Amino acid sequence: MNNKIKTVILLFLLPLFAFAQSVVTGVVTDKDNLPVLGATVLVKGTQNATSTDFDGKYTLSNVPEDAVIVISYIGYATQEISVNGQSTINVTLADDASELDTIVLIGYGSTTKENVTAAQTTVDEEEFNKGAIVSPGQLLAGKAAGVQVTAATGSPGEGPRIRVRAGSTLSASQDPLYVVDGIPLDAANANLNSINPADIADITILKDASATAIYGNRGSNGVILITTKKGKMSSDLKISFSTQLAINENTDEIDVLSGDQFRALINEFGTPDEIALLGNFNTDWQEEIYTTGIQGIHNLVIEKGYERTAFRTSLNYTNQNGTLEGTGYERATVNANIIQKLLNNDLKLTLNVQGAAEKRRFTDGGAIGSAISFDPTQPVFDPNGPNGYFEYLQNNGNVDELAPRNPVGLINSLTSENDNNQIRATLIADYKVPGIDGLKFVGTAGIDYNEFDEFSRRDPNSGVGLTTGALRSNGEGYRVNQLLRGRLDYNTEFENISTVMDVTVGSAFQNFQRESVFRGQDDNGIDIGDQIGFNNNRLISFFGRASFDINDLFVLSGSINREGTSRFSPEQRWGTFWGANGAIKLTNLDFVQNSGFLSQLKLRGGYGVTGQQEIGQDFLFVQGRVVPSNGQAQVQIGNQFFNTLRPSLALDLKWEETYQWNAGIDFGFFDDRLTVSVDGYTRDTEDLFQNAPLPVGSLGNFALQNVGATRSRGIEVGAGLDLFRGDNFNWNIGGNVTFQEIEITDLTLGDNDQPTPVNPVGGAGFNNFIGEWAVGADPTAFVVYRQVYDASGNPLDGVFVDRNGDNVINSDDRYRYKKGNPDAYFGFTSNLNYKNFDMSFTFRGQVGGYNYNNVRAGRENIDSITENASPFLNNPTSGILQDRFQSAPLPLLFSSHYIESSDFVRLDNLSLGYRFNTDKVGIRASVTGTNLFVITDYSGLDPEIAGGIDGAIYPRSRGIILGLNFDF
Amino acid sequence: MRTYKTLILLFLSAALFTACNDALDLEQQGRESVGQLQTLDDFEGRWAKLYAGLIVGGQDGGDGNADIQGIDGGFSNYGRLYWKLQELTTDEAIIAWNDGTIKDLHWQVWTPENEFIAAMFARIGYQITLCNAVIRDFSEPTISGAELSSSDADRVRGFVTDARFLRAYSYYHGLDLYGSFPFTTEDTAADGSELPAFISKQDLFNFIESELMAIMGDLPSGQSVEYGRVSQGAAQMLLAKLYLNSEVYTGTDRYADALTQINAVIGQGYEIADVPYSNLFLADNDSNGAQEEFIWTLNYDGENTQTFGGTTFLSHAPVGGTMDPTNYGLDAGWGGVRTTPEFVELFDGEENSADSRENFYTDGQNKSIADVGRFQDGFAIVKFQNITSTGLPGFNPTFVDVDMPVFRLADAYLMYAEAVLRGGGGSRATAVGYINELRERAYGGATFANISDSDLTLDLILDERARELHWEGHRRQDLIRFNQFSTNGIWEWKGNVQSGITTPAFRNLFPIPLTELNLNSNLVQNPGY
Repeated sequence: MNNKIKTVILLFLLPLFAFAQSVVTGVVTDKDNLPVLGATVLVKGTQNATSTDFDGKYTLSNVPEDAVIVISYIGYATQEISVNGQSTINVTLADDASELDTIVLIGYGSTTKENVTAAQTTVDEEEFNKGAIVSPGQLLAGKAAGVQVTAATGSPGEGPRIRVRAGSTLSASQDPLYVVDGIPLDAANANLNSINPADIADITILKDASATAIYGNRGSNGVILITTKKGKMSSDLKISFSTQLAINENTDEIDVLSGDQFRALINEFGTPDEIALLGNFNTDWQEEIYTTGIQGIHNLVIEKGYERTAFRTSLNYTNQNGTLEGTGYERATVNANIIQKLLNNDLKLTLNVQGAAEKRRFTDGGAIGSAISFDPTQPVFDPNGPNGYFEYLQNNGNVDELAPRNPVGLINSLTSENDNNQIRATLIADYKVPGIDGLKFVGTAGIDYNEFDEFSRRDPNSGVGLTTGALRSNGEGYRVNQLLRGRLDYNTEFENISTVMDVTVGSAFQNFQRESVFRGQDDNGIDIGDQIGFNNNRLISFFGRASFDINDLFVLSGSINREGTSRFSPEQRWGTFWGANGAIKLTNLDFVQNSGFLSQLKLRGGYGVTGQQEIGQDFLFVQGRVVPSNGQAQVQIGNQFFNTLRPSLALDLKWEETYQWNAGIDFGFFDDRLTVSVDGYTRDTEDLFQNAPLPVGSLGNFALQNVGATRSRGIEVGAGLDLFRGDNFNWNIGGNVTFQEIEITDLTLGDNDQPTPVNPVGGAGFNNFIGEWAVGADPTAFVVYRQVYDASGNPLDGVFVDRNGDNVINSDDRYRYKKGNPDAYFGFTSNLNYKNFDMSFTFRGQVGGYNYNNVRAGRENIDSITENASPFLNNPTSGILQDRFQSAPLPLLFSSHYIESSDFVRLDNLSLGYRFNTDKVGIRASVTGTNLFVITDYSGLDPEIAGGIDGAIYPRSRGIILGLNFDF
Repeated sequence: MRTYKTLILLFLSAALFTACNDALDLEQQGRESVGQLQTLDDFEGRWAKLYAGLIVGGQDGGDGNADIQGIDGGFSNYGRLYWKLQELTTDEAIIAWNDGTIKDLHWQVWTPENEFIAAMFARIGYQITLCNAVIRDFSEPTISGAELSSSDADRVRGFVTDARFLRAYSYYHGLDLYGSFPFTTEDTAADGSELPAFISKQDLFNFIESELMAIMGDLPSGQSVEYGRVSQGAAQMLLAKLYLNSEVYTGTDRYADALTQINAVIGQGYEIADVPYSNLFLADNDSNGAQEEFIWTLNYDGENTQTFGGTTFLSHAPVGGTMDPTNYGLDAGWGGVRTTPEFVELFDGEENSADSRENFYTDGQNKSIADVGRFQDGFAIVKFQNITSTGLPGFNPTFVDVDMPVFRLADAYLMYAEAVLRGGGGSRATAVGYINELRERAYGGATFANISDSDLTLDLILDERARELHWEGHRRQDLIRFNQFSTNGIWEWKGNVQSGITTPAFRNLFPIPLTELNLNSNLVQNPGY
């Protein structure tokens, strides 16, 4: 507490101090004692600066006695020297520490970049995507090979989908493990939105199993280590404020018929009854429900470092209105950390606290689909309709439940909000054990706690309110994730064999608990069933790693993790996971050093075994469980209603196991102006968690079982090129591309690998599946009827290939065709600065993937327009004007005609900035455009669809963001 | 200093976990619990689930938390699946929807991958497994060790008898639909580790027969039983159906045995309800007089027993077009199920018949079905209605109150006549009398439509069963027994052509679902698939 008060006082008093001032002169030389020309000499924290002349000499006036001068020159390490009343300060600049000495995180520890042996990528603040970014995952999009970031839809507060080397599992979670400042997040609650993106210093992605094995049962989908910004020791008070204002507009609409086009079509094809249903209006329903979204993001950061204490505090406020009327996101975060050194600097305590209060506002998402289908010849408003909206009515005047609801009425009839309050705190103790050189203890205690509260209220007088039972619902709950971990690190050098050894051993305990209750109520407040959820699971692990740096040439490393989970029975719950990898630092050999063009060369390889237990369900192995019925599923015998008890199936599940090989090579050319990294991997997962069928005789016909296997392979290439390096002008570009292939290699327990239908689609009732899991195929493969085309390439109405030649078109004629997963995805970035001006952009894209366009498949034929359970018409997508399909046989829903290439290139963001330096404050003004354009042949709204089934997403909008940063 | 030392100690202790296995032993909390059999409630809940298995799809209202997967919860309801297989495959019903392979049922082009056939198979298997579990778990030592009074203990023993009946009932469905069924008993492990054997039709027939015979004495009589619970009357009716179809099931006819059981049913004291025929399928059919005729019902309730199957499906699915849902006590029609012109023609005068069992809705509907997907092609049938006999709507306009008669006396009367005609003994005069009793009610008490002895033929029985029992889940079985289901018998869209064509005889049995064949190597696919 004392420190805090002191800090605050200091903060206010600092500017009031007056200092004595004088002139300082000196000579700047390099390590060979040659003068350095053009080095910058600056009084720290001021704009008072000069440069050295031909002889390396400088003269700097108005230097306060207690000032610090900063001497910098490109290619050399920047030095800071306290003046302490000296008038002559000569400086010898050392060569800039190579990038290779940069410290990078690895699992439970860190190493130098030079000694990295696994496939991992670190993306730091400089490289992050620009824009009004709300969700941290978006920072990474397009930035790292092997990391596929599918952008979030336009729904405010939604995060992107991240896949690290996709494809290790079928039914278990595919999300990577997120570790924030040392706390692994609860997979069921990995709410990255509780972290302000502006507080993130860097993100490291551990991709291969040899790197993630130390995370044992959570390592199969890759591990993403997020490090937040910290205060620095002995640094000046720094206050910065930034603000961003964004204007988001939808780029396009789904192409549907206009009122006039629709009238013409119905007049041509409709029966007199159907023609009579037409209205006289021209309503663009999509225009009615979408608007311009405004977004503001504000950050305030205060940081300062003392000799033994450093702190950083930041406040963030984000407020966003979505482009869909009624949706929005609001967030306030506070991120504070303090580092304290104690016990002769042997003990370093780091306390991180992140707090976030979030509010997501929703509307009725059904409006998105309804705005596509709703008859464009009908008006939005009708004075005689419910609440003044046009709705379809039955003969008796009631709202017709089978007809679609007025999209604008849908939006305005629902008020819905999710509130989330989250606090995450970590205390890390880093203790150099006295008396034993190289021995260090690192202890971490953390808690991640959130409470959520949600409600939705439907206007009972609205079109929907008049036809639905549940008009209000609310829910609340909490989730807590507690961590206690300790480890001992030991570093020593065996000089006789020129080997440096690092050893880490430790253990961790983590407890996850979640409780929630959801209630639905009708308008009279009568409960329509409570849903109570309770989950609790725990993980215990013992881990260790040893690495050896031999002759500064070979690096060998091995790690092991013995881990137990409460999710499985005592017989199955413990597993041992391990990884081993190595690297040859050829950079350090003469032939590389003397080659003249090669500046870096390293070979890497590794193998690892990881597990997966993230099935989302707890207590599954407990025998004899029963599920009670709720009050609406009782049975009446005689005059009494009985609640029922259903016995549950308990299966003895075990870990999903993944085996992965990785090989990589890192090159640097011409003083690392060009760097290239290539990694290849092959991975097999066995005993997959799969919701697979059970034979008759079991208490259930499907259950999660350890059945099946997948194999995934990939090649990842990342490259960076410094086009220009200079004082005033720097330009570097970077790119990455990932080729991947995922295949199911086994599906069932028996010999007979019958495909499993997956991915139900809308448009024609229940139980219609567009995909299947089949041995030898990608899990996102589609299963379709082959559309027949005429000689000029136009599809023939209702004609499909009779593949088995039995003169009947039935499900036997469906076949696997294309897949949702892309063959390759890539990113391309550029960063340029010229004097005070800077510019950056990021392109992303993918090739080889396909989407099933369910928006068109369910709508684009005359039957889908007119053949309804009650008298109304549906608007089709505009492809009907070309294809002119009449009827909607089931095969049409699954026609290959609607499988379309999802190849695209997107200009994700383009940012221009200019820095003004005044005496007191540094100002940077920027303008950024996000989602500026997409090049694609895809006929739908947006080709980037997670999973490849396009059922009309909340559109991603285009944003223009104005930003201002002030550094005091 | 002390604080730091404490902190270090804390972390050090974290590094030195020992006794950790205990920390991983978590107890079940939340909604599920570890089910003990101690109190009467524990036993009743498990027993009630056996009835619920036939009535609702899962543990939450509206078929939420469904018992079986691989099909939407609302579609997975036992009664709804059974009805679809017994009715959509016949001239009595056709559906407009595009739910997966549902249209293949009426077209009679289904394959072993058909999910409705697979879901029914899973449902039957699940129901049998639930029954086995009750029979196994409600052992004599468990009952005597529980906190039960002696009368409660006797009640629990009665639950075991119910479980044996309900198991036999589901095996009978397996026999009827699939020819046989994977055979499990209370001695079979319930975790799928033991692959059930596939037994012959004759062995399954014998098992069902012996079980029903064995429990007959333990069941309450038809008049003393609680409404909705199984009784001797239900067991006799089930045996009678088994015997009547014996020639189809096993190749051996048992018509005399059928007649014995039918006489026993009739002797239980049920009465043809002296109320309009339409009362039998209304929201208050548990109390409007119709209940006098019911041997066993599946009970639905708009407040406490909510499902999208059963009578809720039968009330909503046939409402669409120009029909006003509120006239039937409903919030909405689902615009799906209609009937074929061939069924319409079974009524004298068709849609204008004086027979009150004719309940077609024709306004805006075409008799003939040009387009299977168009609700207004084909007459709708308004038989199950969520209004009471006094014209009031049911409690809930979505989930109806109508109870579903599984067995009713009129069926037994018609079975009597059929058994007589098939040489099972009995009296032709009694048979004529039984049929006329039904026809008099149908014609509002008038006798002009009564039949005479010369009218009493098997053809009449088949048609009369359709008129009396249509949409009650009997038609496919009847058509097969009369050899009119596949190789004979034509109705619109049979064979996937509008005019209708015959289909191969192997369609008399459904295929064993492909998934099940793959999982259980003991199973043998039915011929033709």
